[in-house]
Amino acid sequence: MSTRGVRRFVKDLLRRRRPRPFEAGPGDEAELRTAVLLRAARPGGGAASEEFVAGLHRRLAQELGEPAPARGGNRRRFIQVSSAAAVAAAAGAGVEHLVTSGAEPAAAPPPPEETTLRPENGRWRAVVAAHDLPEGGVLPFDFGAVAGFVHRSGGQLRAVSATCTHLGCRLNLDAPARRLNCPCHRTSFAVDGGVLMHQLPVTPPPLPHLVVREAGGVVEVLVPPEGA
Amino acid sequence: MPVAQRFRRRRAEQDEAGAAPRPRLHAVGADVYPDWEAVYRDNVDRVYRLMFSKVGNRPDAEDLTTEVFLTALRPLRVSASVGEVRAYLLATARTVLAGHWRRTLGREITALDEERDVAAFEAGTPDPGTLARAEAILALLPERYGRILRLRFLQACSLKEAAEQLGTTVGNAKVLQHRALRQAAQLAEGMET
Repeated sequence: MSTRGVRRFVKDLLRRRRPRPFEAGPGDEAELRTAVLLRAARPGGGAASEEFVAGLHRRLAQELGEPAPARGGNRRRFIQVSSAAAVAAAAGAGVEHLVTSGAEPAAAPPPPEETTLRPENGRWRAVVAAHDLPEGGVLPFDFGAVAGFVHRSGGQLRAVSATCTHLGCRLNLDAPARRLNCPCHRTSFAVDGGVLMHQLPVTPPPLPHLVVREAGGVVEVLVPPEGA
Repeated sequence: MPVAQRFRRRRAEQDEAGAAPRPRLHAVGADVYPDWEAVYRDNVDRVYRLMFSKVGNRPDAEDLTTEVFLTALRPLRVSASVGEVRAYLLATARTVLAGHWRRTLGREITALDEERDVAAFEAGTPDPGTLARAEAILALLPERYGRILRLRFLQACSLKEAAEQLGTTVGNAKVLQHRALRQAAQLAEGMET
């Protein structure tokens, strides 16, 4: 038999109320999930109300402190990494803050000041000992807020984001083939970020590059601090 | 249609109509949002629909949508492409939803599905899979179980109305509903695995 918590949850759902919290047991999950599914399948149930959309718009305008960035002037405001937690939540979208020039899609020429972005409070994080990344080598790294791959070719170090530029899936490294494969839509990138192969109607942009250096025999990338 | 293409088309339509309600702020590429308000307008319904499909009720869906935008908009780089912004909103939604279940029930009842939810989010339409999955489960139930759940969940009938339709008492309808949901849950689990 259903537990009391489940019965109350279902009753609240059916009465269009916010279900009250309770400590659900492992045996409750399936019923709760099914109740949510059946309720969500109700025709016309899914659209946001105009009142809500307008109310949240007002609130956001207030929270952001201004209606919208004015002509070019205030864009910096949106570039700053104001919450590392939020960036961590985005797991990879935060990478955009570290974009260096040449990685931007040609269709969207950014204002000049945005072409060599670095995190304002970024920190150098060690990825690997320099001698462990030989010529031609590729290695993954993951610092929570930012994940990517470093590689060395032609004596040069480079680092790219591990987030597919199509829909943000995490790329997998195929080391022997020196390719970064997206598990979602069969897109492949070269280790330098260029698109090798895709089956999308529009070619996705190349992977953003991260700022990377070799210091004291260690390969380091510049990333936003975690949890700050 | 891919995001960028659709967005370009919409922008083009607006421009042609000459009645774009908002001034264009920047001469930006077609697949980039001009400001946070454009990000909001284009995505608020997508985020809401996604959340509603995961929690099944309006108050929670509205709160979670609010949380997604409050979390996501501040650190957002507006010159990111439409696809990047959407991926970022989805990633935030995933975290926000997980937090919601942790807080309210202590268990993750629903989560974002990599394939289905991402596709529906990009399409900006209600996920047809939700209704299809519900119907698939209902179709496997004994006739009266399927009917009571349909009446109560999909057609929003009261217990009394449902009991009348089924020619039974309110008490019986209530018991029937509980048993039906129980069996539907077992079927649903079998289908997922």
